[in-house]
Amino acid sequence: MTAAFPYLSLIMLAPAVGMVIILFLPHDSKRAVRWVSLISAAVSLLTTLYVWQAYDRAAGGLQFVERTLWVKSLGIYYYLGVDGINLPLVLLTSIVLFTGVWTMWDLQHRVKEFFALMLLMVVGVYGVFMALDLFFLFVFYDVSLFPMYPLIAIWGSTRKEYGALKLTLYLLAGSALVLPGILYIYFKSGLFTFDLVMLSKAGLDPDVQYLGFFLFLFGFGVLAGLWPFHTWSPVGHVAAPTAVSMIHAGVLMKLGAYGVLRVGMYLCPQGLVEWSPLFAILATVGIVYGAFVGLAQTDLKYVIGYSSVSHMGLVSLGLATMTLGGVSGAVFQMFAHGIMTALLFSSVGHIYDSTHTKMIPELGGMAKVEPRASFFFILAALAGIGVPCLASFWAELLVFINGFKVYPVLGALAISGLVVSALFMLRVVQKTFYGPKNEKYAECADMRLAMIWPRAILAGTILLFGLLPRLMLDTINVGVAPLVELFK
Amino acid sequence: MNPAAPSDFVLWLTLAVMWLPFISFLVIFFITRTRLALSLAVSVSCASISLLAAWYLLLGLPATHPPVEFKLLWMAGAEARISYGFLLDPLSRLMLCIVASISFLVQVYSLGYMAGDEGMAKYYSFLSLFAWSMISLVVAPGLLQLYVFWELVGLSSYLLIGFWHHKFSASEAGKKAFVMTRLGDLGFFLGIIVLLLHLGDLSILKLNAQAAAQLSAGLVTASAVLIFMGVVGKSAQFPLLTWLPDAMEGPTPVSALLHSATMVAAGVYLVSRLFPFYAASPDALAVVLAIGTITMLLSSTMAMVARDIKQVWAFSTVSQLGFMLMGLGAGSYFAGVFHLTTHASFKALLFLCSGVFIHHFGSNDMYEIAKNGGRRLKVPMITITIAGAALAGVFPAAGFFSKESIMGALAELPNPGWLAAGLAGAAMTAYYTFRLLFIVWFPRKIETPQHQENGHGDHAAHSSFGYWAMGVPLIILAGFALVLGFFGDWLLNFIHWGRPPEFFHHVWLAPVSLLLVGCGIGLAWLEFGRRKAAQAGFLSRLPRVEALFANRWYMDAFYRRMVDYVVYGFFSRLFTLNDRRVVDGGVDGVCRATVGGGWLLSFLQSGLLQYNLFTMVLIIALVGLYFLVMH
Repeated sequence: MTAAFPYLSLIMLAPAVGMVIILFLPHDSKRAVRWVSLISAAVSLLTTLYVWQAYDRAAGGLQFVERTLWVKSLGIYYYLGVDGINLPLVLLTSIVLFTGVWTMWDLQHRVKEFFALMLLMVVGVYGVFMALDLFFLFVFYDVSLFPMYPLIAIWGSTRKEYGALKLTLYLLAGSALVLPGILYIYFKSGLFTFDLVMLSKAGLDPDVQYLGFFLFLFGFGVLAGLWPFHTWSPVGHVAAPTAVSMIHAGVLMKLGAYGVLRVGMYLCPQGLVEWSPLFAILATVGIVYGAFVGLAQTDLKYVIGYSSVSHMGLVSLGLATMTLGGVSGAVFQMFAHGIMTALLFSSVGHIYDSTHTKMIPELGGMAKVEPRASFFFILAALAGIGVPCLASFWAELLVFINGFKVYPVLGALAISGLVVSALFMLRVVQKTFYGPKNEKYAECADMRLAMIWPRAILAGTILLFGLLPRLMLDTINVGVAPLVELFK
Repeated sequence: MNPAAPSDFVLWLTLAVMWLPFISFLVIFFITRTRLALSLAVSVSCASISLLAAWYLLLGLPATHPPVEFKLLWMAGAEARISYGFLLDPLSRLMLCIVASISFLVQVYSLGYMAGDEGMAKYYSFLSLFAWSMISLVVAPGLLQLYVFWELVGLSSYLLIGFWHHKFSASEAGKKAFVMTRLGDLGFFLGIIVLLLHLGDLSILKLNAQAAAQLSAGLVTASAVLIFMGVVGKSAQFPLLTWLPDAMEGPTPVSALLHSATMVAAGVYLVSRLFPFYAASPDALAVVLAIGTITMLLSSTMAMVARDIKQVWAFSTVSQLGFMLMGLGAGSYFAGVFHLTTHASFKALLFLCSGVFIHHFGSNDMYEIAKNGGRRLKVPMITITIAGAALAGVFPAAGFFSKESIMGALAELPNPGWLAAGLAGAAMTAYYTFRLLFIVWFPRKIETPQHQENGHGDHAAHSSFGYWAMGVPLIILAGFALVLGFFGDWLLNFIHWGRPPEFFHHVWLAPVSLLLVGCGIGLAWLEFGRRKAAQAGFLSRLPRVEALFANRWYMDAFYRRMVDYVVYGFFSRLFTLNDRRVVDGGVDGVCRATVGGGWLLSFLQSGLLQYNLFTMVLIIALVGLYFLVMH
């Protein structure tokens, strides 16, 4: 089980090394900074791809494990490993990081600091996804949150200070629930270890699980955009610069859902059984509510922000079903939504950079002005409304089937949200891209050829997993199957 | 029954039919889009190979060839196992052939029609995507694969209806089509889930053979009606019929495709596909029959007052689809499928002919076309008359026979009302069809044509190649519209699926219905045809009724209001306000409370010595008091 070569550490530390190198580079060598970032992202991506294909699906379980004692008296381990649940999310992070760095190639303002902070944030993200030790998980969790504040406040737009502050405070409030939760489990288990795998076998008292899951559900749920703790997310998305929005909506929100899954559901399965009706109700409200609020938005980024609320509701609903299909669907949806939102923000980023507006009423007719950017946006929007053969369709299908199976009324309500989300995405597409050629922006340049690539990678991922969903689901099922056994 | 696996030859042939259009889509969209001639060559050659293979599968295999099935596991997520593959049985072989033929003819026709359009290569890639989705839908062996491609068919029509998306009306119509059919698909999806959770296997053959025995009657009815909601959306039945008349905003060849073999036919095809399942529930069949009848009557009235040539055909499509569902609802599988087949030929023809007029005269208005000399165009004029006769059910055109079989099925029902409704519908169909034909055949000097932009800009590109590219498909389709009716017996034996054929024949029925059709044509002749006719329908003397019909029974207005007031005006506004005031307000309130609390506490930090001393003394005094009281 233990890996011969620390592949996972390589994935996680490549951005860290990149960041350190960047810190030693002179201020004005923007080119070098970009290349270092891109290369470190590429190292992570290639290693992830290797791990992805080398993961033994037949054997399942945790693989590529690295486990070293860190602090003996407290029971802290440096413990990394991947299984069918976090492997897709690591892949997601690598893809979004790589394409995100490439998307920001043309950044001119304080390049060095930007990329250093972005890489630091991603180190934290990798850490959360791969760590199997609660202490490390929590530390990485906060490492991934803090860089957000300067990234938005310095390089952002639209009410950036407000957005940055709100987001940071909100998420810290969430982690203020997580930390007591972790300590509570730590002491109640009587094992005095932060090792997640050992804790999950401790057989915690149902009352402990009840309170523990509550803390994790709302602590991590804030970051997952669980209704009604979602308002930081559209505001934050809007304020953040393009690549940060990509990582933020694409990856960071998944940290929350992943936390609920890995920490909450693994350690407190009985807690989920108790709390699942409430969880499902909040999720369903989020799905429908997010779509309706999205209908009324006039800022492109707000629209995507609310679609994220709606789509992350699907993830929550899938988790709340406690079934193999539902949880697998939720994990698939995390991956699919991450790629899709990254593509949406990446396309909007280009439109905003060239036209200096992201207000829908001021745009219109962009398909004739910027056909490439429009194509990518429309493709991602279609993925967002669940068009088949694009990745998120399968995820939604699984979540809906199992949602309906476990909670027929909520499931039916969530399914009816499909119409609203179709209406709201198509409305945006129509108002922004269709219509006569917009003379106001006739001079705006479409994407350069080199800048198509990051978008093409994202679009290709959507299509690949949409046409061949088994590539993804067979892996996820391996990871989810043992988890679901805990609820029986 | 367990279907056999296909022989290698059949396997590869079917995969070719299924996959060539998709390959063509990918190649054109991602590689050759900038090179028009190459794109056209790719698309048309893929379509022609697909066409030949489809015809071979229909006629080359013996009619008694047992159903074959081929499946690969596409997605496995616990309960939902979706296989990808095909099921070849008489029904899917027939439909495959219809789809491949119509989409091939439309591609050829579009060579002329779309010549000079800047997005022509993209247009062909979308046509290929459309053909791929529809073909994969037709051969789907399981309900989930069918649903997947059902949605993709919806996507393709969205893209093609909104093809000229620089026009607001086009993008609006595409959006409307997508959202309204989505509304129906909710029911379809729920129905599928209900079946999936109770049966665990959605293979169409198993569903048809065993569902009735395994499920309670109520469950069969419930799931059949839920699935039928999808049909209502897709086939534009009451109450979701208003998207189809708007869908003509797309290029006319797209309308031809959409109205005959692909999008709307999918709904009726689904009911035929699951016919034994539906037949297990008389209540579900009654719903099908009732919805079909209401739709047929409603949309016929709308067609009687429409002036836009494509709109007349659009309403007639809606009503003919209702007719097919009436046949199926009355319990005659054969009648529904037969009418679906003949209708595909003559409805495609009607649209393609209209496309020639629109292309030539740059107008959709029938009076305008007549005034500009529409009848000078010989080929389209003759073929549109043949197609019109078929639509109206005039002997010996195809529509006569297939309508006859539906009437026969209706006459078997205990309640004569259904037959009466069917006959009334036939008379109205004859009236509105010949109204249009007479107007174009016998132009008058009348004015106030409501001129409509058809959005097809380039009329300079008339070439003899374009002329023949558009003409030949018309002639071929006209041939089908004339002779298909005589193949009824062959079709009956071909598709009966091992069960006794249900073909109901009544000697008295043909004269009665021909008489009514004659009345319809006669009325049209009196009002529009004869030399002194004023070319104004009798409905123009009833302005209120005319307005009701022309406004589509105010269904559009109703939906518009629902969307404006309920969706946008109520839910969307309410939730947005709630988000800003309550949810966000709460968060900001907490922030403000924190800041305010800090402000209050800051008074303790005044920096004045006497306050500090005072507080110190106060606290010591309180502590002292506390101990005093406690002990």
